[in-house]
Amino acid sequence: MIVPFGHVLMLAGMLFLLGVFCTLTRRNLVMIILGVEVMLNAAAIAFVGAALHWQSLEGQAFVLFIMAIAATEVSVGLALIVYAYRRSGSFDPSSCNLLR
Amino acid sequence: MIPFRAEDAIHMTVILATLTPLFAFLLIMLGTRARKNLSAGLSLGAIAISFGCSLLLLARLWNVREPLEYSTRWVALNRMEIPFGFLLDPVSLLMLSIVTLICLLVQVYSLGYMAGDPGFSRYYAFMSLFAWAMTSLVLSSSLLQLFIFWELVGLSSYLLIGFWYEKFSATQAGKKAFVMTRAGDVSFLLGLILVLVHVGNPAILEMNSLDSAGLMPSGILTFAALLIFGGIVGKSAQFPLMTWLPDAMEGPTPVSALLHSATMVAAGVYLFARLFPFFALSPTAMGIFLFIGTVSMILASTMAMVARDIKQVWAYSTISQLGFMIMGLAAGGYFAGVFHLTTHAGFKALLFLCSGVFIHTWHTNDIFELGKGGARRLKIPVIALVVAAGALAGLPPFSGFFSKEAILAALALSSHPVWLAAGLLGVFLTAYYAFRVLCILLFPPSAGEEPSGPVGGLAPAPKASRQEGSSRTFIWPLIILVFLTLLLGFFQGPLQHFLLGEGKALLVDHGEQAGWLPFTALFLSLAGVGLAWVEFGRCGAARLGFVERIPFLRELFSQRWYLDHFYHFFVDRIVDRGFSKLFAQNDNRVIDGSIEAVSRGTLEAGRFLAFLQSGMIQYRLLVSFAVMVLLSLYFFYRDSGGF
Repeated sequence: MIVPFGHVLMLAGMLFLLGVFCTLTRRNLVMIILGVEVMLNAAAIAFVGAALHWQSLEGQAFVLFIMAIAATEVSVGLALIVYAYRRSGSFDPSSCNLLR
Repeated sequence: MIPFRAEDAIHMTVILATLTPLFAFLLIMLGTRARKNLSAGLSLGAIAISFGCSLLLLARLWNVREPLEYSTRWVALNRMEIPFGFLLDPVSLLMLSIVTLICLLVQVYSLGYMAGDPGFSRYYAFMSLFAWAMTSLVLSSSLLQLFIFWELVGLSSYLLIGFWYEKFSATQAGKKAFVMTRAGDVSFLLGLILVLVHVGNPAILEMNSLDSAGLMPSGILTFAALLIFGGIVGKSAQFPLMTWLPDAMEGPTPVSALLHSATMVAAGVYLFARLFPFFALSPTAMGIFLFIGTVSMILASTMAMVARDIKQVWAYSTISQLGFMIMGLAAGGYFAGVFHLTTHAGFKALLFLCSGVFIHTWHTNDIFELGKGGARRLKIPVIALVVAAGALAGLPPFSGFFSKEAILAALALSSHPVWLAAGLLGVFLTAYYAFRVLCILLFPPSAGEEPSGPVGGLAPAPKASRQEGSSRTFIWPLIILVFLTLLLGFFQGPLQHFLLGEGKALLVDHGEQAGWLPFTALFLSLAGVGLAWVEFGRCGAARLGFVERIPFLRELFSQRWYLDHFYHFFVDRIVDRGFSKLFAQNDNRVIDGSIEAVSRGTLEAGRFLAFLQSGMIQYRLLVSFAVMVLLSLYFFYRDSGGF
């Protein structure tokens, strides 16, 4: 293995933080979903790296699950965003506060 | 202590004597209220059985010297033991006979007096309850048991005083009697607890034995005696708590007769006699009792000198005679006090029952009205009234003379001559007010119109006929009581023997007492009678007492020395506006305030929390991320053994 495990984890952590930053700061529902996707992929990278490091296939299996979940999440999330846009006419998350 | 044995005849008699009135009460209340005659019959039968049993007991135990105690253990705590049972000794037997006799006579009398009253059955039920409570009180073997029946006596007298509950004044009087006696009873209960804590056994014989002096320090003994005496003060209407008794007149007259002679107020003096050896252990307490008895006697006599209501005069005289008994007992004259209690029960019942006849006939309580109405024409009640007033005044052939002599003799032996002087003054005042009433009743001023026709619409004809119809139930109790009053005095010797026995432990030796005393007392009471005659009786008398000529004294006496005003003031200012206001403010400010603060705090907290809930999804995400980061840091460092 050419790339050391620490570098992989570093990359995954940085990606995760970028995702968090995106999710928390962007005032657009689509960008929030995007941030969540980035975080999921960061986790997937960490799993792949770990599978390689410990020579175990469970990590790879997890990544398949994560990809499936990411796909469903995106589809459901986009549907919700379309609905929210129809209701309020904007992508601003602060306009979705009916439960307040 | 003799264990319970069912075959014991005396024991069965005792149970029969006390419990039959209770059964009568229950039966009347539960079943026969609608049937008046049956109710009255039940009650009368019960009290007659009770009376018969008590006579039987008296005859059977006349020569028994040792007190008999039938008791069983009721409560046993680690060091305390509370027995429950009967105590038969001369005082209780004598008292039992008096109580049942007076109850019987009063109930017979009530047949006529209460006839036609809508609450006739209820009246007899309460009478039975009263009889049960009083007989059980008399025979109680322990102080705690006595206290229970003591309260029952208070309850039943409340029910009877407020019997005509549609009348506002009657309910007020009932309440007043109940509350004022309760004030004394609280003190009684405290004293009882004190004794219980120290002696550990409230049996009367136990308390009266000399051991209790060893078990209690003398200061505590005096304190306990004073506390228990507080109960006597309330029940027997002595000095600070005396004003309920005159108001108790609102009940039916037979009730007053019962209340004043043998039951309610007599219970107080009876308790004194019952615990006499216990009280005698504390000379300080006895001195205070003597003082209170004297004050009550003098105050009440002065009140009686100006009262116009016939029942009120007798009520005041009851207070003063009870004070007299307490004086006698406190001076060490055990027999004198009990003897006066006995004779007083007879003649005071007689006085009230006679007054009841007058009141029933003329429907007024005012002595001047009664005199004008022609009270003197009712021969037998008038004769009975003269006999009773003579006994009250202490004139020789009647019973009151003998018992008063005994008390005066006891007082003469007491420490200070001032008590004897007060006693003699009391004798004079008593004779004066008794015969004042008599003179006003018997010698109305009517110079011209003797036949009393034109007295404001009180047409005597229909009432006389009604009185005629029920006269037998009126007259027979009177006649029996007259004989009792006439004869009881001559039984002083046997009674003394019965009460004190051979061992004259408590006997005050009357024998070599100064010979001048009876003559002085007789002279003083005759002087009282004479003064009453001069002022009210003789032709052309001013009909104005010597006290009534002095406006200040008249006001003072007729306002009952302003005692009621004092109580009003006390209740109004100190209780209502002082304590109650304080408590009301406590309620408003502290309790309500704190609850309001709690609710307001909840409201504010809710508002604050609602402010946090902004409905913004990203803030929630931020919070959950922060929590996750902190948790992971925590677990990481905890597991790596850091910090």
